[in-house]
Amino acid sequence: MSEMTNAFPYRKTVNIGFGMLIVLLYVFLMAPLVMIIGASFTKGLMIEFPPQGISFRWYAEFFNRQDLVDGLFMSLRIGAVTAVVTMTVAMMAAIAGRVLSGKLSGWFQLGMTLPLLVPELLTAVGLLFFLYKIQLAKTVLGLQMGHILMSFPYAYVSIAAAMRQVPQSLEEASQSLGATGLQTFRLVILPLVMPGLAMGGIFAFINSFDLYTISLLLKPLGGNTLPLALFDFLTYEFKPTAAAAATLSILLSIAGVALVQRLVGLQRAF
Amino acid sequence: MSLKNPKLLLAIPAIALIFIFMILPITNMVEMSFRTPGISAPFGDAYTTMHYDRILSDGYYWGVLLRSLLTAGAVTLLCLLVSYPIAWHMSKAKGMKAVLLYACIASPLMTGVLVRNFGWMIAAALNGPLNETLLALGIIERPLRLLFTQGLVILALVHVFVPFMVLPINNALRNISPTLIEASSSMGANRREVFRDIILPLSFPGIYPGMILVYVLAVAAYVTPALLGGQMVSYMPTLIIGELTGTFQWPFGSALAIVLSVSTILVVGLFTALTSRLMERSKA
Repeated sequence: MSEMTNAFPYRKTVNIGFGMLIVLLYVFLMAPLVMIIGASFTKGLMIEFPPQGISFRWYAEFFNRQDLVDGLFMSLRIGAVTAVVTMTVAMMAAIAGRVLSGKLSGWFQLGMTLPLLVPELLTAVGLLFFLYKIQLAKTVLGLQMGHILMSFPYAYVSIAAAMRQVPQSLEEASQSLGATGLQTFRLVILPLVMPGLAMGGIFAFINSFDLYTISLLLKPLGGNTLPLALFDFLTYEFKPTAAAAATLSILLSIAGVALVQRLVGLQRAF
Repeated sequence: MSLKNPKLLLAIPAIALIFIFMILPITNMVEMSFRTPGISAPFGDAYTTMHYDRILSDGYYWGVLLRSLLTAGAVTLLCLLVSYPIAWHMSKAKGMKAVLLYACIASPLMTGVLVRNFGWMIAAALNGPLNETLLALGIIERPLRLLFTQGLVILALVHVFVPFMVLPINNALRNISPTLIEASSSMGANRREVFRDIILPLSFPGIYPGMILVYVLAVAAYVTPALLGGQMVSYMPTLIIGELTGTFQWPFGSALAIVLSVSTILVVGLFTALTSRLMERSKA
């Protein structure tokens, strides 16, 4: 008993210390995003945080910069195609992966996530030479394939996780009632994995939107994605326009996070 | 093996994607690293080991390689120090609070590396918040030049990779049964002993993959050193991309990339050997 009363004040200071540490760590995580959003409303000519006065002029400036807007549209287009293709291919692979069991299933999973485990730089360097060899170098299609490859694991992981939640018995029941494979997929499996499928698409889109190294090495002639355009902009001009562009990118990922929370819940997704 | 199942055919597009656009290109890169330098093209027709000889005999490349490996090591350790308390705190949270904490981890994770690095550029500016805070606290007397320093590169890389470490550790901590902790404290273990003998070993299945992933990604990170490191300090990735896009030395660039990958694998192997011995000792 006496030991407990002795330990109590000590424990309280430890808890307060830990609480402060945690707050600091979350500040560390969120500060860069908060500073960008804050700086995008700067009134003056220089990037500043906290901003002096509120103005939307840098957003207007962003939409007047042809290079940045072109980059934005290119990124949106490539991201959309990436999402659709990876969702389709990953869905098919996830159905196939269900057939496998034990060790084989583990190897399959590993193979499907390979582009995530090998550094982007390595894949980008390899692809640069390879696209040159198959005459796709400096084309939008070549860049598109790079984005599909790098984003595929995100789509696969979410879709395969959603598929695991669907009991195999439902599939068997539908098939024993005379449904064809396609009917079973459309009427039984697809509605059940829809949230996971959508989540896979969101992850693939957002990942594609942010890819840098692969875009740098594979970029088509005369085309820039938004991150590439932003990097170029930042190396020559350190203006709040960049903060406005970056804020749009942050809003996109926050929207993605909110959507994932609605669809399946963040705790299950990560 | 049930290769007869027709459903397996559905995996063909995915396998083709990864094989054609990843395995083949990386194999191709290994071949490229043995090509002779080209005169009018990026590479020649004959084969040679001269690129490897050049890298391995020049102290400059050894220096850059060592800097890359050590920086990634520092980033990994700092990531662990930052991630463990966060993962611990998250694993205790429930309901709406847990959702909010997950959002705090997921939002940076889903925001591009370039954008997040730009945030650090704002923070580290001469009259930026980082300097202002240090001045206000009386830690420094005049603003420090923080931009284009190795310290800022490390800080920004830690920020980029923390979510990659928090998530696996958090998963491991969530899997620890609370009864185990109750049992050991009822048997007289104090908080520190519970942590050292129960929680830490059981969170290892999250720590280990988190550290490997962060290390491998940090060694090959390109954007952060290029944006925040400036021209002052070179790392392997900046060197590699420079050779490929600036001087168009494809074989030499490939050889550099392969030297970097092989040394990363060696470090990871060494680390695995060391930690597995450590794990066995703690079990005994």
